[in-house]
Amino acid sequence: MSEYILELKGITKIFPGVKALNNVSFQLKKGEVHALMGENGAGKSTFIKVITGVHKAEEGEMFLNGEKVDFKGPKDAQAAGIAAVYQHPTSYPDLSVAENIFMGHEIKKNGIMQWKQMNEEADKLLAQLDADFKSTAEMGTLSVAQQQMVEIAKALSTNARIIILDEPTAALTNNESEKLYRIVDKLREEEVSIIFISHRFEDMYRLATRVTVFRDSQYIGTYDVDGITNADLIKAMVGREIKDLFPKPEVQIGAELLKIEGLSRTGFYKDVTFSVHAGEIVGLTGLVGAGRTEVVESVCGITRANAGKVLLEGKEIHVKKPADAMNLGIILLPEDRQRTGLILSWGLGRNVTLPTMGKYARMGFTDDKKEREVSKDLLESVDTKAVTIFDPASSLSGGNQQKVVVAKALGQKMKVVIMDEPTKGVDVGAKAEIYQIMGDLAKQGYGIILISSEMPEILGMSDRVVVMCNGKVTGELKRGEATQEKILELAMEKSKREEEGR
Amino acid sequence: MAGKSGRTIAHVPEKSVKKTLLCWESMLVVLFIFINIFGQGISPNYQASNVLREMPRYLAEMFLMLPMAYLLVMGEIDISVGATVCLSATVACMVCNTGVPFIVVVFTALAVGTACGLLNGIILTKFTELPPMIVTLGTQIVFRGIAEITLGSGGSVSLQHTEGFRAISGRVGGLVPYVFFVLVIFAVIFTVVLAKTTFGRSMYAIGTNRQAAYYSGVPVQKYRLIVYTVMGTMAGLCALFLTAYLYGANTTTGKPLVIKKGVFTAEEKGSRRPMSFHEPLPL
Repeated sequence: MSEYILELKGITKIFPGVKALNNVSFQLKKGEVHALMGENGAGKSTFIKVITGVHKAEEGEMFLNGEKVDFKGPKDAQAAGIAAVYQHPTSYPDLSVAENIFMGHEIKKNGIMQWKQMNEEADKLLAQLDADFKSTAEMGTLSVAQQQMVEIAKALSTNARIIILDEPTAALTNNESEKLYRIVDKLREEEVSIIFISHRFEDMYRLATRVTVFRDSQYIGTYDVDGITNADLIKAMVGREIKDLFPKPEVQIGAELLKIEGLSRTGFYKDVTFSVHAGEIVGLTGLVGAGRTEVVESVCGITRANAGKVLLEGKEIHVKKPADAMNLGIILLPEDRQRTGLILSWGLGRNVTLPTMGKYARMGFTDDKKEREVSKDLLESVDTKAVTIFDPASSLSGGNQQKVVVAKALGQKMKVVIMDEPTKGVDVGAKAEIYQIMGDLAKQGYGIILISSEMPEILGMSDRVVVMCNGKVTGELKRGEATQEKILELAMEKSKREEEGR
Repeated sequence: MAGKSGRTIAHVPEKSVKKTLLCWESMLVVLFIFINIFGQGISPNYQASNVLREMPRYLAEMFLMLPMAYLLVMGEIDISVGATVCLSATVACMVCNTGVPFIVVVFTALAVGTACGLLNGIILTKFTELPPMIVTLGTQIVFRGIAEITLGSGGSVSLQHTEGFRAISGRVGGLVPYVFFVLVIFAVIFTVVLAKTTFGRSMYAIGTNRQAAYYSGVPVQKYRLIVYTVMGTMAGLCALFLTAYLYGANTTTGKPLVIKKGVFTAEEKGSRRPMSFHEPLPL
């Protein structure tokens, strides 16, 4: 018996034109939680697909429990006890949880579905995971976190001994992540081996014992989590040293730019007051669902507030639609790049000039040549990794998509820039670049509102931190006095009190 | 102003003759030629003169195709166009029979069409959660219903003063109908606007990702209202030329246009994406 439950040696996978994996090795111990890290495009996903039999490697060998295996397809991998859970669960939203769990390997007797038995089995699995929903619930009504649990239950139902989690926490709130951590702990106790991919260092420290780093399709190394520093790990991933992840420049803070006064929208947020000065970065934080995004969406004319005032440079403004806010120089970089930030099937250039095409147009006729030049310059100024401005936005990684969103904003008249979760799903290299841009914008005298749930980001970049909880501002902290504990206390203040009151 | 890495991004579109020849639009030209050759091959009656004689009716229907292409590009649809044509034709015929000058009849037809389109547009932009297919299916019944009430069940109205309609159904050199030239003018306008203006670009933005378009400042609801209204106006225009061909209107006028012609010809022309419902905007 080998020490390793899964071992891959010298794996090379070639796609037309690119080597997606180049002589990669990997070892997974029994009952181990092993993190797989690397920037977007480093080859992690391809590697996972080789393990699960979706792709067949051109070169290299794979051993399971010391025996050489050769998967012809995903079915073989499943039979061998390997299951993968993806970031966005690929489920059947109209079917029940039990139906989803047993999809493809239903319990049948003489060709007849044994629903009762399946529901019971499913409930057993869900109980094992401490799930708070029943096997008969409709999949589509569950939250992303709950759907992930179903996926994990599905993996367990196939008696998987190796479970691969692909960015499991990217779509989860902190609370939900904590729950996932507990599930992973539980699985580890049951000697299930887990490979998980994540951009969040927090996940790795919390869960993994060892970490393997890929970069540019190559294997860089495997390290003990206890024995490696953050800086070394980043260096391994990015290939260069990032001296300062948060390049917050010293900026002379100027006059008040935007002031939100007693803004309310029934059911979303209430009596929100804060302001942004020129050159200032205001971190707006709180738990997911605290109403942060909703407030700025009202400021930008996407939704309407019921009460309160918004003042720009001391004058009250009435923003009725997004175009009004843009004309005033209040630019929102939306949280959801895929849904509201970009038109994914369009070329990068068109995306960048979508809000400004009217500015370049003559008598309503678009000036395509000018637009191409402008968008080229903007995309280059933020260092977008792209070949041409005609590449569809969908072809870029998350970090580069975010840069396109930034370029789109840079082309507009700006006074206040609102960045909603600008580094969500972005790898560490691109993160540093986005912070750099943010700092540069502050230096140029723009007011910046940074909405984020990432504590290090808020602490690292903000001049002032505004904390929201349940639709209300619960506190405001200066750069010097803000700490993780204070912010968390304010972010949970309300709900705690409510619990005590019960 | 290249970034720190000095990486450059190409911004000059590749133009190649091969690409132009192989694009799907040129395939349509090939198909068109092929159909004509094939048609002539299987029937001795497939002659230019016959095609030209039958032309006015088909050409009139093509007025619907132009704005419908816009709707489809936006991911919308208007099922009520056939009924709008019926109602416009009916009202135009009745107004004409009172003996007013022909120009009044023209404006009546266009006004009725516009009103119908505007109604669709208002309903759909006021209540953004309603799917266009359902709304226009409903208004279709309303429009045709009004015509039916006016004409009586299964009734019809025939023109008593045909001079004006006869004038617009004339032919240049006795061969090519006027409507052909009117249509060409409109086709050029609609094509240029869709391809070359910010309005046209916005149509594609709305159709591809409505939310992103809205967040980028595209006046989504205003543009929807405009296009639905224009759709109605063009249905009025269609009604005029159709009446000029039929010399009257009845409760089934425009019935075959419900989905068949308007939608499918427009789909051939403009849209590369299937129609779909959208999440309503957060208004």
